[in-house]
Amino acid sequence: MAQMTNKTTNKKNTSKMLWLLLLACPLLARAQDVKIPPDVEKLSARAKETVEVTMDGPMLRWASKFLSAEDPDEEKAAKLVANLKGIYVRSYEFDKDGAYSAADVEALRSQFHSPGWSRVVGVRSERNGDNVDVFFKLENDKMAGIVIISAEARELTFVNIVGPLEVDQLADLGGEFGIPKLNSKSLAKAGKGEHK
Amino acid sequence: MKSLRVLLLILCCSTLSHAGDNDFRGVVHAIEGHYGVHHMHIPLMGFALWIARPQGVSGLKLALFENFNGDSTEDVSRVVENSLGPDWYPFVRVRSRNSVMGDDETTLIYASPSEGRLRMMIVNVESSEATVVELKLSDRAIKGWLKEPGEEAEGQSGHHHHDD
Repeated sequence: MAQMTNKTTNKKNTSKMLWLLLLACPLLARAQDVKIPPDVEKLSARAKETVEVTMDGPMLRWASKFLSAEDPDEEKAAKLVANLKGIYVRSYEFDKDGAYSAADVEALRSQFHSPGWSRVVGVRSERNGDNVDVFFKLENDKMAGIVIISAEARELTFVNIVGPLEVDQLADLGGEFGIPKLNSKSLAKAGKGEHK
Repeated sequence: MKSLRVLLLILCCSTLSHAGDNDFRGVVHAIEGHYGVHHMHIPLMGFALWIARPQGVSGLKLALFENFNGDSTEDVSRVVENSLGPDWYPFVRVRSRNSVMGDDETTLIYASPSEGRLRMMIVNVESSEATVVELKLSDRAIKGWLKEPGEEAEGQSGHHHHDD
C-alpha cells in the first residue's frame, strides 16, 4: 500500500515537473529573445521624456526597399537593413543629474556579460561622465546582434539591433532609424579585434 | 461661383475619404466605446485640414476628444492596437512628464507601409484630451521619419527638448 502511495506521489511529481517545464519553455525562449531588458523599461518611470522606436519585420523590409539606390548612403543603409530582424531604440531624458545611478547602468551592462555576448567598445569620459558601451552577440562565429548603451548625465540611450551586421557597418547605420552616431575610429579598431 | 464649387468638392472629397477609412474610424470608435467619450464635431474640419496640412503630408484625418480620462498609456495603446488591423505596426512612442505641472503627455505612432507609401496613425493623449490623426507621408517626409523617428515624433506631437 505504501509502495503504491509512493508510486502515485512520484507520478504526480513527474507530471508536475513536466507541466512546469512545458510552462517554462516559452518563457525561456522569450528570455533569449529579449528586445528590451526590463531594467531599461524601469527607467521610464524616472525620465522626463521617453522615446521608444520599434522597427522590425515588415517595417524593416519595407524601409530597405524604399531607400533609394541612387543615393550611396541610402543604398548602404538599405542593404544593411534588408538582413536585419529588428531595431529597437529607447531613449530617456532626465530633468536632473543623478536621476539614474551608475548601478542602474551597470545592472544593464551586466545583462550582456553572458555567454554569446562580448563588449567590443567601452568609452569612458572622465571630463563629462559620458559612457558608451557596444556589445556584440555571436552565433556560430557570426555577428547576430548589437547592443549600444550610451549614458550621459541626463540622457540614457539603449539600442538593440537584432540580425547580422559587421562592426564596421555599424557606423553606416549611425544617424539612421534613431540610432545615435558612433565614433567610426573606435568601431574600426573594434572591427580589427582591438577591443577596449 | 466656381470657387464655391471647388470648395464644395474639396469638402465632399474629404468627407468621403473620411467615411471610407475603416482604420481611422475603427480607432476613433474604439476610443469612444472604451472611454465613453465622443469626438468633437468641428465645422469645416476637412477644409481646415486641407489648408493647414504640414509639408509632405496628405490624406489628413483628425478627431479630437475633450474631457478624456485615459487610465494609462498601456491601456490606451491596447485599445488602439486592438482596433488596428494586422498591417499596422507600432513605430514610435513618446512620453513626457511635467513634474512641475503634474501633467503627462503620450504620443503613440503606428505605421502601415505598403509599396511606396507610408500611412501613420498618431494618437496623442494629454491629461484631459486626446487626438487621433491619420496621414500619408510623401517620399521626402518618409525619409525624414526613417532617419530620425524620435525627433519627427517629438515635432509631430509638440514635445520639445528644453535645455535646463
